[in-house]
Amino acid sequence: MSEKKVILSPLPGVFYRKPSPDQPDYVQEGDMVKSGDIVGLIEVMKNFYEVKVEEDGVIDRFSVENETIVDVDQELVVLR
Amino acid sequence: MIKVIKAGLQTTVQDRGRIGFYEIGMPPSGAMDQYSYTVANLLVGNAPHAAALEITYLGPELEFGSDTRISLTGGYLPPKINGQAVPMWETLEVKAGDVLSFDFVKSGARVYLAVEGGIDVPVIMNSRSTYTLIGIGGFQGRPLAAGDIVHTADMKEKDVPVGSKIADTDIPVFSKSHEIRVIVGLCSYRLTDESKATFLHTEWTVTPEANRIGYRHRGERLQFVEREQPFGAGSNPSNVTDLGYPIGSIQVPDGVEPIVLLHDAVTGGGYATIATVISTDLNRMGQIKTNDKVRFVAVSLEEALQARRETQAKLSRIAASL
Amino acid sequence: MSTMKTLYEYGGDEFIFVQLSEEMSLESNFTGMAITRKLKERQIDGILDICPSNASYMIRFNPDIVDPAALMDELKEMERTTDPFDVTISSRLVDVPVLFEDPWTHEALMRFRDRHQDPEATDLQYSARINGYDNTEDFIAAITSAPFLVSMIGFVPGLPWCFQMVQREKQIEVPKYVRPRTFTPERAFGFGGAFSVIYPVQGAGGYQLYGIAPAPIYQKEQTLPDFKDSMVFPQQGDIFRYRSINRDEYDDIRKQVENGTFTYQKKDFTFTPKEVLADLETFSENVMRRLYHD
Repeated sequence: MSEKKVILSPLPGVFYRKPSPDQPDYVQEGDMVKSGDIVGLIEVMKNFYEVKVEEDGVIDRFSVENETIVDVDQELVVLR
Repeated sequence: MIKVIKAGLQTTVQDRGRIGFYEIGMPPSGAMDQYSYTVANLLVGNAPHAAALEITYLGPELEFGSDTRISLTGGYLPPKINGQAVPMWETLEVKAGDVLSFDFVKSGARVYLAVEGGIDVPVIMNSRSTYTLIGIGGFQGRPLAAGDIVHTADMKEKDVPVGSKIADTDIPVFSKSHEIRVIVGLCSYRLTDESKATFLHTEWTVTPEANRIGYRHRGERLQFVEREQPFGAGSNPSNVTDLGYPIGSIQVPDGVEPIVLLHDAVTGGGYATIATVISTDLNRMGQIKTNDKVRFVAVSLEEALQARRETQAKLSRIAASL
Repeated sequence: MSTMKTLYEYGGDEFIFVQLSEEMSLESNFTGMAITRKLKERQIDGILDICPSNASYMIRFNPDIVDPAALMDELKEMERTTDPFDVTISSRLVDVPVLFEDPWTHEALMRFRDRHQDPEATDLQYSARINGYDNTEDFIAAITSAPFLVSMIGFVPGLPWCFQMVQREKQIEVPKYVRPRTFTPERAFGFGGAFSVIYPVQGAGGYQLYGIAPAPIYQKEQTLPDFKDSMVFPQQGDIFRYRSINRDEYDDIRKQVENGTFTYQKKDFTFTPKEVLADLETFSENVMRRLYHD
């Protein structure tokens, strides 16, 4: 098993796993992702910041649920 | 000139603000942390009202088109030039082609980037500040976007040598919990005595709704004195006959989630205002971010004026030292 | 002079807030208008903003230049020594065309029925009913038959709060939406509490929506003649008469706005609050005559 990588939140705000309430999640656990793929959004100050993968990998798990308020440097996603 | 490679979350041109237009409904706008903004200008020898960039939460990536001096003040978003860490609160030199970028925010919420000469945008109603709600001032009335080219002005008054710093004790420290001094008053008569006490005793949590318009806080519910609502005031107990809102004033719509109104706020409306943040602590308010804790501390007008004088003395000392 | 209990409060170290009364009335508004206009004439060093509001006013000052306590004393002194109803107010009478029951605000209000007190009715039908009018025509006639005083400008740049110059028992009063809309068209004509407004720009809003004005009250580009000196047209103390227009006139005015020729029909006008309060009906007739016939 390869080394696990984590994606941290660059911002405080609300974490969303989908682009809008009536659309499916960006990615599911077990999905293969490539650098630049979007895995979620952080909303703060009515701005939406796209959380992107920086290295290719597989989504191991989400550390926070959809619509959770997160803090800077909080772990969002673990890749393997 | 400065080329915007990445815009950051919200990077706007700001100065001391568009003062004197309340009566037409125009809020002042301007730098949220006036202390850090003022020091940034001092460190590059600019006129005190030269425009700077206000960077919020997530830094931009900027490429400089010519050799110049810059300074970075405010909250701590670790800055880098061409990937190398550089200090804040210090006169820095950049060369044509240098790229300024930032790491994730470590403390505070907003960084001020002053460039020698100031940012050159049109003056609208005595100010270069951006007011995004109606799209006036600053760079085309909006936050910077990737691809924008920003020019610098000639508002430099003094040559400040590269490497100039301010005393460590003059650099504010921003933790994750804050005491914000307020003068209780305005329509505080609308709150029950118990709720007035609750307002001051509660440790409030800043919600994701925290921007240049205002900061919303989660905590306890506040109760208003029961009354038959006066004519024109509206039906909710938190309603009053529409009145003016000072910058820094605090309202509690429906008794939930106090909102501190800030520089881009609406100038008036129908919610009872219960207290006002003192001018000195508006600077700190601008460095608070979502999830931080806030306690409101009641002070007298005399204490507020004393705090104001201390800040001014500090700024005069810094100006004299550079 | 006045028997109202006035509240003087500091808003931090840069503001003084003066509440003339808790309820809205022409008397309170005139009092604030008289004091703030007098204060403006004095040009006191260190005063940054003089902002008259509905039943209150607000001053922003620089405490490094003017002593807050001395300024507050001065304001109290002005209240004691000013007869607000004897002051001559220079004002403008303005004809403000409104297309009632227009397609744009109708579309907007239908989108947000779930946030309204009465999802089955339109805002106009609901407001007419709760104010005791048999139908919307009579309700519109009540709005258009007597002028409104621009009692405060604010919220966003240019938004005029307007208070109708009629006896209290004739005053229209409506609640705001249960939950605010996230969308209101630009130039929408609405009503909330005891105030009518025109929304200067598109945005959120909670007032009942009745129609739309063809002419702007805020123009950022300042190309129309009425906006040459300011982005904002209304001034506190203006007297607006809302005139119900049809779609043809609406389209015609829109064309004039677009080709840059539109100007508001308006007349300079002076009055004393005393004459207004003495006989509102005669005053209203005078306003109509001066605006449309003199």
